[in-house]
Amino acid sequence: MDYYLSVATFAALNVVLALGLNMISGFCGQVSLGHAAFYGLGAYAAALCSVAGMPFVLSVLVGVVVAGAFGVVVGFAALRVRDDFLAIVTMGVGFLFLGVVRKQAWLGAEMGIARIPSPMGKGGYALMAIGAAIALVLLSLHVRRSWMGRAFDAVAQDEDAARTIGVDVAGYKTVAFLLGTASAGLAGAIYAHMTQLIVPDAFNFIQSITILAMVVVGGIGSTLGVVLGAVLLTVMPELFRFINDYKLLVYGALLLLVMRFSPEGFAGLYRRVTGRRLA
Amino acid sequence: MYYVELLVIGLVWGCTYALMALGLTLVYGLLRILHVAQATVFTLGAYIGLLVANRTDSLPLAFVAATLSAGLLGPLIYRLVYEPILDKPPFVALVASIGVLIGMEDGFRLIFGPYGLSFDDNPWFTATWSLGGITLNLVQIWMVAAAVVLLSAFALFAARTRAGVAWRATVSDPVIAQNFGVSVMRVRYLNFFIASALAGIGGVLVGLLNNLVEPAMGSVISYKGLAIIVLGGLGNVPGTLVASLALGVVESFGSVFLDKVLDRDAMAFLFLIVVLMVRPKGLLGGAH
Amino acid sequence: MKLKLLAGVALLGAVLAAPAAAQQPPIRIGFHAPLTGFAASDGKSSLNGAQLAVEDINAAGGVNGRKLELVVEDDQAKPEQAVPLANKYIGDGLKLVVSGSYSGPTRAAAGVFQAAKIPYISAYAIHPDITRAGDYVFRTAFMGEVQGKAAAKLVGDILKKKRVTLISLNNDFGQALSAGFKDVAGKFGLDIVSEYTYGMGDRQFGSIVASVKRDNPEVLYVSGYFFNGGPLVAQLRAGGVKAEIVGTEGFDTYNFISIAKDAAEGVLVTTSLDRDSKLPQMRKFIDDYEAKYKVGADMVAASTYSAIEVAAAALAKAGPNDPAKLREAIAATRDLPTAVGKLTFNSLGEVNKAGQIQVIKGGKFHHFATIDDPVLLAAPTK
Repeated sequence: MDYYLSVATFAALNVVLALGLNMISGFCGQVSLGHAAFYGLGAYAAALCSVAGMPFVLSVLVGVVVAGAFGVVVGFAALRVRDDFLAIVTMGVGFLFLGVVRKQAWLGAEMGIARIPSPMGKGGYALMAIGAAIALVLLSLHVRRSWMGRAFDAVAQDEDAARTIGVDVAGYKTVAFLLGTASAGLAGAIYAHMTQLIVPDAFNFIQSITILAMVVVGGIGSTLGVVLGAVLLTVMPELFRFINDYKLLVYGALLLLVMRFSPEGFAGLYRRVTGRRLA
Repeated sequence: MYYVELLVIGLVWGCTYALMALGLTLVYGLLRILHVAQATVFTLGAYIGLLVANRTDSLPLAFVAATLSAGLLGPLIYRLVYEPILDKPPFVALVASIGVLIGMEDGFRLIFGPYGLSFDDNPWFTATWSLGGITLNLVQIWMVAAAVVLLSAFALFAARTRAGVAWRATVSDPVIAQNFGVSVMRVRYLNFFIASALAGIGGVLVGLLNNLVEPAMGSVISYKGLAIIVLGGLGNVPGTLVASLALGVVESFGSVFLDKVLDRDAMAFLFLIVVLMVRPKGLLGGAH
Repeated sequence: MKLKLLAGVALLGAVLAAPAAAQQPPIRIGFHAPLTGFAASDGKSSLNGAQLAVEDINAAGGVNGRKLELVVEDDQAKPEQAVPLANKYIGDGLKLVVSGSYSGPTRAAAGVFQAAKIPYISAYAIHPDITRAGDYVFRTAFMGEVQGKAAAKLVGDILKKKRVTLISLNNDFGQALSAGFKDVAGKFGLDIVSEYTYGMGDRQFGSIVASVKRDNPEVLYVSGYFFNGGPLVAQLRAGGVKAEIVGTEGFDTYNFISIAKDAAEGVLVTTSLDRDSKLPQMRKFIDDYEAKYKVGADMVAASTYSAIEVAAAALAKAGPNDPAKLREAIAATRDLPTAVGKLTFNSLGEVNKAGQIQVIKGGKFHHFATIDDPVLLAAPTK
């Protein structure tokens, strides 16, 4: 039972991360290769607060706010560069975050932050993670259908055209980053309390790629597709323990094959089969 | 003297980066693809070079083998991975490339083991050459020589030969080039061949430099390579060169003076972000 | 009549013989390590050590006649894989688990095992927080700080040198080692001239070499793994640096020597393995490892081998069914002869043992000194 609970909790956290990235990259077309940095920001901020004695809820809130704040800063940077440049800049943000954390003693440096107090049991975290995941699904679906979603679409399709018809491109890009990174911060805060030890390696470039892979395999832009992608890629290592030694080979091949044959991921498959768009 | 030495070391590192980054910029310039999988041909070149060197005791043969194997793998990756998805949004090629990188890295680990391999006979490894207080390892000198020779050769090729002109035309405007009879397909294959061969040679040299060839040796250089090509102005060949050397120097000084503040890999990206904020098109501006 | 008697005797004989003929199922213990991913080289060494230990133990009769069996899983050195694995082991009824993995995943899993009151032994992960998870968690490796202290004593008391430059790897291992070294450096009269650091992926150290040449120390204390240390030592020597080099446990593998080649000559390594050892346990491990895997043993394998030895000894003493009794048996381990020397656990679950200094001569590891200073090398108890 506990085994399934812990897998489900991690899957839920990954759903939150993937949906956050989906909002930035899928809805608003801003390719981000540094999403794990915001995961890390939320985790570190929340961990530092808890270790200093702040109550759990407050620590989590701080995690969300810190991640979102940095997200806004990066969003501003996104205004100056675009497309391929942005992808690499966000990659750089990821490396920079780790580069700084690894060297600062008060951030735990290489040892990370340990003995983070854990106020809840396994069940509590599972509930919290799943709750967050559901909230994010609802938020994503809502945003998609709302005027903000339409504005996001316009920005994603053609920024310049959007600008000419009066869409506040800058504003919407920033909001997308804010929503996406704040949710990553939430996931990070939960993760930190659950594992009670966070180390820089957990938030590296590979992690950013993993989250991107979930979004892309699910179908960039599609909420339900991304949920499916996140759950699948979390559960895969567990299900396929028999391919143990070939895990990464299979993972790489999967990314390649999906991009080659169905770049729109599961959502694309769904559309081809049913003719309708997956929400 | 110390500072001069740091500068020289930085330039040597820059040459290593140049061999990798040039390939990245060539691919980007032609196809707007971020060819992260460049790491794969780099590492393949290193492994093949090492195996041939250990088997035949001949370094020249090792270099030839590395160049050929890497040079052929590149176009193969293009054909199998990129060609079918050229019309899709850019992140598709990027993610596919990442898939190749991750998969092949594990493939190398499965075939060659996780520990990494060393050269049985590495004559240049500890041989050094000193000039005025600066000591350089022989492999480092070869690295610089290779970079200078190969890049000059490429420049000549681009300016003087028919194939080179055809290549430049295709980069500038594929449609017009095609109208003039240039085979875009051949240009692409040639492009990947050159980009990958350079990386393969770089791989053997780095393998000799460290006396260690490992499955993941290409990744970090590949990621930094992306930072370099952006710095240099995407698709801009001279820019890439300047950026490569600049980064090498920044890292050389940074790893001793900034090491209490920032990780070495992060320095590349800090440099990038700072430059981009001031000059959004890169150090020398874009090629397009 | 006779037939019936005969049949009866035969039946009785069969009934009596049955239990002796029946095979007892093997004792299963959990073992997780990074078999794929960035830490695969250590994962492989660890697995090698564990499997060799199981083979040797089973060949010698097993645990009270029963064979030992490992339930091996890959955690890719990630906490998010280690935690579900921990839960899986517990759900499958395993009563003892050994970690062949890094600090992040081990600490995360330790919390799970402590809560479930299942004994957990960390073979080589060095983060101090691992044993602080509780009294069910143990560690058979030297903590980073302790190793660093041993190195300081080596430099001051045995090499009798003063001016030291530290070159440390940027990770928990490297940081802990340099912290331990600096902690007692003053006590041994050492003067730390300069300090440099480098990253896990670095293989080119030109700027550090240039800086060391300028600083001109007598001794270099270098922390890292073979894939950093090998190139670094080679580049230092090629750059003309003549200082004595003291490396750490991560260099204690033949991979180091095959990379650095001649530059490795004379390098000293602080570790727990002594290739010239006369201790039967250590000797057997070193010889068996080489025979089975055709490469020289390394520290990760040695630590893991000893972790299995500790587990087996406890299982023999307390039986395989009661985790609480197993915990007591492990905690009570005193001077148990293992591949890394005689082990005794303290109240925190940390191990107290002697330190070995090996020197590389003629391309091979040899004994240089033994640091047996229980006060200096005492593991923390809190």
